[in-house]
Order: sequence, then C-alpha cells, then structure tokens
Amino acid sequence: MATGIKDKVAIIGMGCTQFGERWDCGPEELMVEAFGEALADAKIDRNEIEMAWLGLFFQEQSAGKSALPLSISLKLPNIPVTRVENMCATGTEALRGAVYAVAAGACDIALAVGVEKLKDTGYPGLPERSKGTFDDLWLPNGTAPGAFAQLATAYSAKHKCDMGDLKRAMAHVSVKSHANGALNPKAHLRKEITEDQAINAPMISAPLGLYDCCGVSDGAACAIVTSVEKAKEMGFKDLVTVKAMQLAPSNGLEMSNSAWDGSYLLTTRIAAERAYKEAGITDPWKELDMTEVHDCFSITELVVMEDLQLCEEGGAVSAILDGAFDRDGDVPCQVDGGLKCFGHPIGASGLRMAYEIYLQLHGRAGDRQLDNPSMGLTHNLGGHPFRNVASVSVLGLHN
Amino acid sequence: MGYGILSYGAYVPPIRLKREAVLDAVGWAVPGVRSLAAGERSVASWDEDSITMAVEAARNCLKNSSEVPSSITLASTTFPFADRSNSGVVADALNLPLQTQTEDVFGSRRAGTSALVRNFQGNTNTLLLASDCRETKPGSTQEMQYGHGAAGLLLGEGDTLADIISVESVHEDLIDQYRTVEAKYDYALEERWVREEGWLKIVPGAIKSALQKANLGMEDVDKMIVHGSVGAARSLLKKLGADTKKLTNSLQSDVGDCGCAHPLLMLSDALTKATTGQYFLIIGFGQGSDVILLKINDKISQSKPYQGVDIHLNNKRVVENYTLYLSLRNHIDIDFGLRSERDNRTALSAYYRKRREISAMLGGRCGKCKTLQFPRSLLCVKCGTDEPQEEESLSGLIGRVKSFTEDWLAYTPFPPYIYGNVEFEGGANMMLEFTDFKAGDVRVGDEVRMVFRVKDYDNKRKFRRYFWKPSPLLKDV
Repeated sequence: MATGIKDKVAIIGMGCTQFGERWDCGPEELMVEAFGEALADAKIDRNEIEMAWLGLFFQEQSAGKSALPLSISLKLPNIPVTRVENMCATGTEALRGAVYAVAAGACDIALAVGVEKLKDTGYPGLPERSKGTFDDLWLPNGTAPGAFAQLATAYSAKHKCDMGDLKRAMAHVSVKSHANGALNPKAHLRKEITEDQAINAPMISAPLGLYDCCGVSDGAACAIVTSVEKAKEMGFKDLVTVKAMQLAPSNGLEMSNSAWDGSYLLTTRIAAERAYKEAGITDPWKELDMTEVHDCFSITELVVMEDLQLCEEGGAVSAILDGAFDRDGDVPCQVDGGLKCFGHPIGASGLRMAYEIYLQLHGRAGDRQLDNPSMGLTHNLGGHPFRNVASVSVLGLHN
Repeated sequence: MGYGILSYGAYVPPIRLKREAVLDAVGWAVPGVRSLAAGERSVASWDEDSITMAVEAARNCLKNSSEVPSSITLASTTFPFADRSNSGVVADALNLPLQTQTEDVFGSRRAGTSALVRNFQGNTNTLLLASDCRETKPGSTQEMQYGHGAAGLLLGEGDTLADIISVESVHEDLIDQYRTVEAKYDYALEERWVREEGWLKIVPGAIKSALQKANLGMEDVDKMIVHGSVGAARSLLKKLGADTKKLTNSLQSDVGDCGCAHPLLMLSDALTKATTGQYFLIIGFGQGSDVILLKINDKISQSKPYQGVDIHLNNKRVVENYTLYLSLRNHIDIDFGLRSERDNRTALSAYYRKRREISAMLGGRCGKCKTLQFPRSLLCVKCGTDEPQEEESLSGLIGRVKSFTEDWLAYTPFPPYIYGNVEFEGGANMMLEFTDFKAGDVRVGDEVRMVFRVKDYDNKRKFRRYFWKPSPLLKDV
C-alpha cells in the first residue's frame, strides 16, 4: 500500500541565483552560481551527490537538450542525470525526480537544478514555439498573456463580476507582489508600483495590462535532498521535509469539452485536493502559513486562491482586496515577489518557490521574514488554462 | 426538362475601402483618379484569397439547395496555387464526397462565363464557382475600379430558377489588358480604343448569333448583365438599339469589378430582382466575348432572400486607412517585429493524415455518450470509450463565445489578434482564432459563425494553410 511522500525526504541545501536580465551569463554560469550556494548550504562535498535532475524548458534558445548541459556545466562525476520538461512546471518536476529517487532508496543524496536563459531571443516575452505538427494546423498562434487573459473574461462573465472590480483586485495582486519584490535582493523587479499604475498600464492582452504580467527572466535554482534518516545521521537539525508533491495534467477535457467554463484551473483543483490528502491537511486556510503560487499573470493568482481552497469560489476579489494574501495577511502569497517580481526563468521557477519556503521555514528570509511559519505550499503551472500541467507541493518543518 | 440554374450564391468580403481615402493618399501623384473617387470597393482581408472566397460563395449557393454537386468548376485568374488543385481545396472545405470531379479554369476574365457556355446543355449537377482577388498598383485606376469577390451557380436539370436557352462565344485577340505570369498587376490600354474596336465590333455579332439561335430579338431581352465599364456597357446598348435601363446593377459603387467572378456576381444580384418569364443576357468580355441567354422560370418567386450578394452588401466594415489596406494586401511591409518571423512550416504528411479534420472541420461524435468533440479521437474526451466516433463537421454550426482576448503581443497582420474559447452544440469546445472582428466587438456569450480562411502563411516555402475561424453572424438584409 502506497503511503505517499510525506516526511520521507528532507531538503538539506538550496541555492538560487539573482533573477533578471543576466546579459553577462549563459545557462552554464547560472547553474554554477545556484549550485555553489546549495553546496555551501548543505555543507557536503560535490562528490557525495549520487544522482541529478535537470529542469529546462526552452532548450533551443539556451543550453540544448539532454542531461549534458548540467553534467558538463557542473563537471559532475559521471553520475546519472535526467533532464525533465513539463513547460512552466519544469522546476518542480526536477525536484520531484530527485525526491522520488531518495524516497525509493535508489540513492542517498540527489540534486535538482532548474535553469532558463530566456534573454537571448532578441525580444521581450516568451519565445515563439511550435505546438506540434497537428496543433499548428488549427490552434491559434496565441501568447501566454492571451491565453490567461481569458480566465478574466470567463471569470467576469461567470461570477457577474464587473470588469472594473476585477481589474482592481488584479492590480492589488501586482501591487502586493511589487512591494514584496522590493524587499528581495535577488528579485528581478524591485520597484513598488501603485494601483493606478497597474490599472492604467499599456494593454498586452485585454484585459491584462503590462503590470498584470510577470517578468521574463534568466536564472537558476537548485536543491539538494536526502532521506530524513540520512539527514539526521549527517547532523541536520530543524529539517524541512516534503509533505506532498502532486501533479495533475489536463487530459483534453478543458480544450475540447464544454464541461469546463474557462474561469478556473481544473488541474490545480485536482492537484491541490491530492496534495492536501497526502500532507494530511484538512483546512488549508488554517494550516498553511504561506503560499508561492504560479502568478504568471495577476488573474492566475486570483483564480488559484479559489482553486487552492483558500477562499470560496467567486470570493477571491473581495479576499484579495481585503488583504488576505498580503505579506501581513492571513495566508501570505508571493512573499518573495513571486513570478511577478522575483521573475520567471521557466525551468527554475518551481525550485525558486521551494527556495523561498525553505528560507522562510529556516527563518533566513531577511527583511521579508514571516513570523515563525511552519508549512508552505508551492503551486507551479505549466501551459495555458485550457491545457496545462499543475503541480502542487507542500513543504514543512519536520516535527 | 431544361438545364440551368438550380441555385445561386455570392460572396463579397466585409472590408470596403472608401475610394475617397485612396484619392486622399495618392491624389498628389495622380489627380486624375478624382473622377473615380466615389463609393467603396471590396477588399479581401489578409486571410482571404480566391479559394476562401469561393468557399463562402459556394456555401451561400448550396444553402438553398438540397442537390449535391457531382462536379466543381472553379474559375479564377488569381489562384493561390499554380499546381495544387484549388477546386480540390474548395471541395474538401465543403465536405463533398471524394468522387466529386474538380476542375480549375483560368487564364481569362471570361473564365467564369466561358465555363457557363461550356455547361450549356449539360446533364450533371455542377457547382460553377468564380472567384477573383486581383491586386492593383497603388495609384492606378484599377485600384479604384477593382474589387474582390466570388459567385457561384449550381447548374443542373430539374426545378431550375432559370434555363440556359442559348450561348455564343467568339475569340479575338484584342489585348485590352493583360497580366503575364510574372506580373503582379494588370496592364491596361486606353479605354476608348477598347470600346470602339472591341465592345462595339466584337460583341454585337455574338449577341445577335445567340438571339438567333433562340429565335428571339433584342426587344425580347429584359435584362443585360454586361461585364465591362459603365461607359462600354452603355455604348453597347445604344449600338444595339436597346434601352440602357435594361442594364443591371454593375455593383461598381459598392464592390468594384471582381474579375472573372463579376458577371456571375452581377447575375446573382439581378436574379434576386428577376420575375418569371424574363430573358437575361450575360455578356463576358476579354479577347473575345461570351454570350449566355437565360430564361427565368416560375421557381424564381420561391427563391430565398438570403441568396446572392445582398446580404454581403450589408455586412461591411468600411476602412478609410489607406496604409491599412496596403498592408492587408501586402503592398507595404510594416515592421511587425521579431514575432512575425515565426517559421510556419507545415508538415504535409501530418496535414494529409488530418486533412479532413482541418479542411472540413470534422469532429467526432462519441458512439456511446454522443459528445461532439474536436479533434476527433480514438478515445472519447468525455467518457473515455474507444467506440468509434462518427464524423461530423462543425463548420456549419453556430458557436458561442465562452472566453476571448484581444492580444496586442501576438503577431497578426491585422492587430489585435483575437482568439478565444468557443462552445458548440453537442458539447464541443474549441480554442479558435477569430476573424473579421475588431477590438471591442466581441463579448462573452456572443454567437459566431465559422468561415474558411488562411490560417498561416509560410513565406519561406510560399505555402499557405487554411482552417476555420469564428466570425460575426451575417446581419439579415
């Protein structure tokens, strides 16, 4: 009988680069930078790492395919390396691989690295890509903001929520993340903004304006994991352990059947349900001290608050405007600035979310440190609302 | 039992360029076009061509008939493909049986009327389509005079709206205008010469011969559909001793001259006003002349108002921005940024596997739970069964917008790129690129109708691929 992942694996070291437009760095330098920090944090020898996972999405634009970019960049001693890719949920997938390997007893110490070098494309926003030979024949050549903007039009229609009110709640999401990002020295965007600035920004994909969209950044993040027993043996105290790691990909229903109304993320709801069960959480609002969610766009964070059961369906606008998810709110969201301001180097993002929770649980988050958090959630979403992979993980202090 | 027109249809693209806007833009160089600067001309949008316009004319035509054509003839001087059956693409879009004979005819402004002449005394159901999308040089008189459009006739035996009574065709190499295969634009000669030597010398004899075959005289003719300038047409009727009131609407002020489609487009307009027993003469011109004599039957009184060009005349989007028109027709190269550099290579073997899904928008209806879905798949998206799905085209369904966006980041030749989730009867749901909407037009809950359009151009390999897009419902006449 499967018992789930809860409290089997501990994170003993993490690293994260400065995110941003790293014109001076390629993927290799970014990986080395994040790895160096994690290694120093774990206080182990690099040769103690037995297996590694690499998360990278847009390989054409940066490091290329396969395990080699990681193995070569870090000059690893020919250990097994697996490259994983699940769109924007890639970072969490790398971590999941390493965590499962340790839990399976295949190795004692495993490494997960996520990296993305996006700023070699020559233009702002995400690179253009093929959707596959058949889908290219009929699906729109849309953009990420265009796909997520539709959450807003569908949400507004379903909940009869005035677009002006919705825009104001979306602006609050971004204003909050900018304020948090300003406190984070590694964040890409560190300027505070006002609600008026957010609402009146140039339109990208209606109704999403510039400040409703996250940054496109270069960066890398990594984690070193081991079993709880091994971590104790190694002398680690105050362990941060994995409480749940769940993944739910679309199966085509949202994109081809009218059962889905377009106003929420079906897979996030499913993954959250499973993660809460695996972690033994019955009341996320009370039990979670913080969340790092996939706020690629302000509207995504808004609907995800409902999908994670942190507020009632249709209740996100008022909960957000009431400050429930602000840094001093009930369940702070994106304390590190989120994708919005910390930045979104795709393959690294899931690991960056874990990095913030890891720092917060250890009380090492500097100016943005929360008051004694003990459990946090990461939500990492790959793809577009109508077809995506949703990853929900829970990390917490080991008791 | 006569052979003739079982039903008719037409299509004019919704974009209409105000001719005054052309004058405003080019009048500094060619003040002479001032005399032509009245009304509007039709302009195919960036995603329309002779194939897509023919598909619309055919749908308009077939909507009013229960007959299925056994062959398609497509006439155009502006086929997108020199080697790939253009009529075959149309047949696929119409979801016609694979056994449907297809034929492309071209090379003359008379291609449409010549095909009609050739179908005289035919005996099969033929869908005759004519579609033209002629490009014109900025500042030219053609830019003012031409339009883009298509028309179609379903020809056959039986309960006809009109019968073809007689035909005549002459060829005479009077080169009033020409376009060689390497040229983008037409080269036209002085109109007075064409009138004196062409219209007044070549055409009257052909008309006389066609009337003689039917034992009729000019006085018996009620309406004249003349594909030529208004001046040429009036001179011709005067020469024949006929009242110029017999001339039907040239569609010059609202549409412009649609090339080889134009005689049939004018016919479709004239048929909506026809009455039982009338005789119509159709005159095609260009290196000779085609003459077709029609007799209108009783059935005309039952034809539906949806038919023909009227509904399209009322569904328009007037454009006054000359550079927008130039860009839509590829006369200027606006800098749309690096995103427009995307490689749109089509994997043609993948297209072949899915050609019917793409061309006819074929989805599948689950054999068990009856859910309609696109794409059709081996396993039902709703109930998961592997029971075979029945093919069903979504192209004729009215969709409902569930969500949409106006995307200013994505590349499209006519920003913003509007796309969204559209729901269809039967539970099907699709994320689709919209067309013919402008910013601010779309609302959640709106109804849309599907149209066959160019999806992407592959400029590297000079290829284009087609798919269906939601567009505004046609407003009733």
